[in-house]
Amino acid sequence: MTKRSKIEIIKDILDIVNKNNNSIKITPLIRKSNLSTTRFNKYYGELITKGLLIEKIHSGRIISTTQKGLKYLEKYSTIVGFIEEFDL
Amino acid sequence: MAPVQGMGREMINYLAQASINTELLYSFVIIFVSLMIYFGTKDLYELTNHKGIKYFRLSFLFFAVSIFIRSILKFLFLFIDPRTIREIVFNLNVINPIILFLFMYFSAMAIFSLLYSVMCKKWNGKCNLILILNIVAVIIALISVVSGSSTIIFGIYLFLLLFVAFITFMAYKESKNKKKKINLYTVYILLSAFWILNIIDILVPNVLQAFQLIIYFVSISIFLSILYKVLRKLGSN
Repeated sequence: MTKRSKIEIIKDILDIVNKNNNSIKITPLIRKSNLSTTRFNKYYGELITKGLLIEKIHSGRIISTTQKGLKYLEKYSTIVGFIEEFDL
Repeated sequence: MAPVQGMGREMINYLAQASINTELLYSFVIIFVSLMIYFGTKDLYELTNHKGIKYFRLSFLFFAVSIFIRSILKFLFLFIDPRTIREIVFNLNVINPIILFLFMYFSAMAIFSLLYSVMCKKWNGKCNLILILNIVAVIIALISVVSGSSTIIFGIYLFLLLFVAFITFMAYKESKNKKKKINLYTVYILLSAFWILNIIDILVPNVLQAFQLIIYFVSISIFLSILYKVLRKLGSN
C-alpha cells in the first residue's frame, strides 16, 4: 500500500465525517482515519484552523464538516488532477 | 525637400504608433492570461494551502506585475530614446532605476517561483530557500541596474537560464510520469528562455529589435498554452 499524501489524508478524514451523517465523535474518527493519535491530532488541528471541520459540544465532542470542507471533497479530484498536471 | 521630410516624419510617427500599439496589446494579453491563472487557482489554494499551488500562482502574479512595469519602462524609453543602460540610469535620475530594479526583481522572482513550485516537495524544510531566491533576485536586479555592460547582463541571464534548465532537468528526472511530464518541463524552459529574452529586450535596446515580434508571438503562445492546461484541469473535473 502506498503512503497517503497530505491532501489524501485530509480528504479521507473529511469523507469519514461526511459519511457518518456529518456528525462523529473523536474516538471513532481517529480509529477510522487509520492514523496514529499524534498524526491525527496534527491533521485535526489543521482542519479546524482552516475551517474545514467544526467541533460542537453536545454530549461530548461532535465533529462535523463545514461548507468549506464539503467544497474540498467536491473539488478533491480537481485538486489532485491540477497538482499532478503541473507536478507541484 | 520639405514634402520628403514631412513624409519621413509621418512614417516615423506611424512606426512609433504601431510599436506602442503592439506593446500595449502584448502587455494586455500577458497580464490578462497571468491574472486569469492567478485568480482561477485561488479556490484550490484557499482549500489546500498547498505550497506548490501557492508558488505556481505567485509566479504568474509576478509575471503580470513585471510585464506591467516593463510597459512603463518601454514607454519611458520610447520617449527618451536611450542608447545604453548607463545612459538610462544616469539620464533618468532616480525614478527609472527604481522602476528598472522592480522589473528585474519581479521578473527573476517569477522564474524562481515557478521553479520553486515544482521543486518545493523536494526542497521542503530546507533552510529558507525562498528567502535565498529572494536575495538572489535582489542581487540580479541590482547588478542589472548598476552595471552598464551588456556582456555582464548577457552573462547573468545565460547563467540564470542554465540554472533553470538544470533544476528543471533534475525535477524531470525525479518525476514519476516522465513521458507525460516532458511537455510541461519543455514549456517551463521555453517560458524562462523567452522571459529572459523579454528582459534583454528591455535592458539592451535595439539588440533584439529585429526579432521582437517573434519573441512576442512565442511568449504569448507559451502563456496561452499554460492557461489552456490550467483551464482544462480546472474545468475537466
